Amino acid sequence: MDTEIIEGLKKAIKEYDTEKAANLAKRAVEEKLDPLKVLNAMTVAIREVGDAFGRGDLWLPDLVGAADALQAAMPIIEEEIKRTGAKRESLGTVVAGTVFGDIHSIGKTMVCTLLTAEGFKVHDLGVNIKAEQFVEAIDKYNADILAMSALMTMTAPEQKKVIERLKKEGLRDKVKIMVGGGAITEDFAREIGADGYDPTAPGAVKLARKLIGK
Amino acid sequence: MLKGFTRNFKPLEILSEGELEAIHRGTLSVLRKTGVRFESKKALKLFEKNGCQVDYTDNRVRFPEGLVEECLRKCPSSFRVKARNPKNDMIWGGNTVYFQALSGTRSVDLDTWEPKTPTRKEYYDAITCLDALENVHIIPWYTPWFGFKNIPSVMAMPEGLAARLRNSSKFTCSNYSMGCEVFNIQMAKAVGAELRSSMAASPPLTFYEDAVENAFRTVEAGFILLITSGSVYGGTSPATIAGSLISGNAEIMAGIVLAQLIKPGTRIIVQDFSFPQNMRSGSPGFGAIEISLHQVAFNQIWRRYKIPIDGGVSYPGSKKIDYQAGYEKAIIALIGALSGTNTIWIQGAMYGELAFHPVLAIIDDDMVGMIGRFLRGILVNDETMALDLIDEVGPIPGYYLNKEHTRKWWKLEQFIPRVADRLTYPEWLKGGKKDCLSLAKERYQKILSTHKVDPPLTQSQEEEIERILKEARKYYRKKGLISNAEWEAYMEDLKSPDYPYA
Amino acid sequence: MAKGFMRRFPPLKILTDEQVEAIHRGTLDVLQQTGVLVYNERALNVFKKAGCDVNFETKRVKFPPGLVEECLRKCPSSFRVKARNPKDDLLIGQDNVLFFNFPGTDTVDLDTWEPRSPTKKEHIDLIRVLDALPNVHFLNAYPYFGFSGGVPEVMKEIEGVALRIRNSSKVTIAIANNDIDMFTIRMAKAVGSEIFANPNTSSPLTCYTDQVNACFLAAEYDLPSMIWDGATSGGTAPASLAGAVVLSNAELMPYIVLLQLLKPGARIAVANLVLPQNMTNGAPAFGEIGVSLHNVAFNQVWREYGVPTVSSSCGPTSSKRIDFQLGYQKTMPTLLSALSGSSILQLYSSIYGEITAHPVQAILDDDIAGMIGRFLEGLEVSDESLAIDLINEVGPIPGHYLGKKHTRKWWKKEQFVPRAADRLTYPEWAKTGKKSCIDYARERMEEILSTHKVDPPLTQSQEEEIEKILKEAREYYRKKGMITDAEWESYKKIIEK
Repeated sequence: MDTEIIEGLKKAIKEYDTEKAANLAKRAVEEKLDPLKVLNAMTVAIREVGDAFGRGDLWLPDLVGAADALQAAMPIIEEEIKRTGAKRESLGTVVAGTVFGDIHSIGKTMVCTLLTAEGFKVHDLGVNIKAEQFVEAIDKYNADILAMSALMTMTAPEQKKVIERLKKEGLRDKVKIMVGGGAITEDFAREIGADGYDPTAPGAVKLARKLIGK
Repeated sequence: MLKGFTRNFKPLEILSEGELEAIHRGTLSVLRKTGVRFESKKALKLFEKNGCQVDYTDNRVRFPEGLVEECLRKCPSSFRVKARNPKNDMIWGGNTVYFQALSGTRSVDLDTWEPKTPTRKEYYDAITCLDALENVHIIPWYTPWFGFKNIPSVMAMPEGLAARLRNSSKFTCSNYSMGCEVFNIQMAKAVGAELRSSMAASPPLTFYEDAVENAFRTVEAGFILLITSGSVYGGTSPATIAGSLISGNAEIMAGIVLAQLIKPGTRIIVQDFSFPQNMRSGSPGFGAIEISLHQVAFNQIWRRYKIPIDGGVSYPGSKKIDYQAGYEKAIIALIGALSGTNTIWIQGAMYGELAFHPVLAIIDDDMVGMIGRFLRGILVNDETMALDLIDEVGPIPGYYLNKEHTRKWWKLEQFIPRVADRLTYPEWLKGGKKDCLSLAKERYQKILSTHKVDPPLTQSQEEEIERILKEARKYYRKKGLISNAEWEAYMEDLKSPDYPYA
Repeated sequence: MAKGFMRRFPPLKILTDEQVEAIHRGTLDVLQQTGVLVYNERALNVFKKAGCDVNFETKRVKFPPGLVEECLRKCPSSFRVKARNPKDDLLIGQDNVLFFNFPGTDTVDLDTWEPRSPTKKEHIDLIRVLDALPNVHFLNAYPYFGFSGGVPEVMKEIEGVALRIRNSSKVTIAIANNDIDMFTIRMAKAVGSEIFANPNTSSPLTCYTDQVNACFLAAEYDLPSMIWDGATSGGTAPASLAGAVVLSNAELMPYIVLLQLLKPGARIAVANLVLPQNMTNGAPAFGEIGVSLHNVAFNQVWREYGVPTVSSSCGPTSSKRIDFQLGYQKTMPTLLSALSGSSILQLYSSIYGEITAHPVQAILDDDIAGMIGRFLEGLEVSDESLAIDLINEVGPIPGHYLGKKHTRKWWKKEQFVPRAADRLTYPEWAKTGKKSCIDYARERMEEILSTHKVDPPLTQSQEEEIEKILKEAREYYRKKGMITDAEWESYKKIIEK
């Protein structure tokens, strides 16, 4: 029974089946499966998808489809972890989002998916996120990394605003900041005081590991 | 008036009548059932007053079919647009075809092919080049670049428009950001030119307030409104071209209803600015063939509504001026022209919307000349069929080179590119193995040293432009949209000899 | 069967029906009034018997319009051509669009862009690359006009056919110069393949004997024919395009009449390599827009006749490099010809004129063929592709399509993904060494050359048969005095190897 649920959940993620992933996550909770084991299986599944994307066997719609399925199951399992007080192992906690005024989600979603696959705990805030929302989330989740995306030249300066706000709230030194997106360059990242920049999603994962020394 | 090109044959079509009807009906059903989100109280009220169903909780507007069709009918099928110099006026619509420069955010180094930020002088020079090129009929917004060194981003558009009005008398356009359209409209009026401005959807099915506000201002100024969707199929619209057309056209039609409700009879041109999603990198699939399929179908639909069409947005996916850029641009522009696009974007654009170079604009201008020659077609009459001449010349050893008929007709039939390599191998080896790129570089230098804008702005027009710019600078500075550091660099730049207008 | 691309919408037209009619009338008038020179006794007799006005002294043949129209009606509007491997069989006509290559005399140095003679290995490499590329549906003659190293001129293409048959399973073409097709046709037959007979016209209005002989061979072996016309408008044809169409059509007709008289229902495609004259240096104006205007008008007229057309002028350009100019000069005629109804497009591997060709270029052209092929297939309009329910489900922002099942299914059907194009973003591109399409094409060439195998290789007995025919040909031309003693000496050394 346990393996049936766990294998089913992995399959649902790999087959991009959002509904099935959510249902199996609920069943896992009902059947009192170890939530850490379930989480681990989900991470394995998303890693397989991420690796296939990296090899060029899978494409963006597949990656995002798998991410959607993962997202459907994740809150259910996280809730269970919290309830049982189990201790979740992760490389670190990431808060991610696309900055205010910008509604482009693709790059950010790619990075979040691959970070999850790598073993980070990722809180994807979505798009059009205001500085105060980022700050609030960093505080709430006790994040190790903030990952911000901006596709448009007009919205890139918004990343600077977030960093300034973090300084004002005294949170800047608690968190490593990585930035990316079409409008961002290495120089810009340095200029606004980010800790790192990478133009590609797989590169962003390596960067995240480097930033927290793992 | 600028003649541009005339397409002398029926446009290329790929959809059957039944398929066209299915897309038409599908679009109306999306407008009625799903509706479009407008983040603008002003627009919502106007829609409600005119019989749309408005949901103020999610700002969704649902449109009755009758209203949509009525507003489509109110758009003129062709119209004149006025440039600063009447010789550059155009008539958009029907079988006319015009070409416009296509901008990029940055310039590019022609040796390393890496992008770089242009200077003010490069910006003004590139406009001079576009003004000189015979097949650039429109120098639109953001052209040549989105901005240049030392310009705060909020001032990029007004500064760019001023530069275009100063260095060119061709028809130009301007867009919106942070309300800068107010200043743009004033500048155009000061020099007696009309502007085309845009109302761009944020797909799927959403219009934000700045786009709507610009539509109000443009229509109220009596200028031309370009309405565009800008969807990326597979991302912000369905992955199918048919589905993407429905989703994008629903957005455009919602825009048309708004414009015609603001002022009936408003001159509208609809734009196809859609790309497939690159499923590896997540960026738009610049240079892809699906762009052309989308364009032909789009044109077929909008020709049915009798509304002028803009598109053929010829962004290559290549980062260099190379073989790939050549075929990508040729396919998009050519199919755009064959299928009835009235205004096509091509000259100068390099990779996506991320780079532009005037030297490429010169090479593109040859390609445009070729397309224009093709659109004219073939003349068939007694003289061109030349039966008597064929009889006179007969078989080998007869030939045509020395005939009067040849001397007259070859020039009428052949288009000769300006910067293409047309040499034989021995000539080419002897001439230093020059390619189109080096020939275009030579032409660029020649244009810069000889071309003069006709006419230059008068003293009083010039003063008026500078006055409006000053006002804009002050306005944005006060609003806190120009930081201290930006302001200092900007003021320094205005003192340079490249800016004699201050 | 080699599939090709299906055009799913009506072809582009630039002439009115009346203009097509005028060109047809003009063509018949030239054939009846002016006539054509035919340097071939056998053919003169056939024409005479069929009711043509033949002057045996001047060799001038004048054709009654009724005979021309009758023979045109006998041409099949579509037909199959059999290859050595049935997967490479061809369907010509019926809105099916095929591609093949345009040869060059030389290869080109990809750094200096200077031309030079290819080695035998390079010659074979180009054949292998063309064999491997999926959108090369059959192989032209050559693909280089020869290779350095001692093969006598008259034997180059005979040896060339042997190389193509050994290294490719695709159908090829038997050129007629010096009657070498007497041998090459037998080679194809020996391996169970058909080969195109290839009579060429000579402008203006002249048919030479070896080209006419090709028609007799086609009839004897029951082969498909590809008739080529290469007039230069302003030089060997009128400078006005309508006149050039009339002249080139009149030049193609005698071969059609002859082929249909010899074998009613003979399979024929007409190829058009009409180019404007470059009025500065007298060379053909490769790559210019007049090429496309001629192609499109030509296609429209021949569609009325129901004879499949070949657009041969798509391949050669006036650029010496693989650069932007080459890109647009190849693309425009190819695209316009494909849209206007060509059955066959001669695109691959050529760079400047008939002088240079390169396998890297063939690989780059494969992407253009794929793109144009994708375009020809048009749009699918169905409830599923219209996706109205999906649009309603996703709604406005923040709705998104990327994660949808519909997207996963459809994007691959809708999008053509080029093999050798740079599709990266700026940062990815900068990080991976700023590669361009030429770099990708070079990589693909290396990959093809190290992995591709001809399918199937020749059997032992086929191999022996080819060698036997080669031997016969050598002796024949040696006897005819077309191989000199000195040539024979160095040639022998190669053969013995």
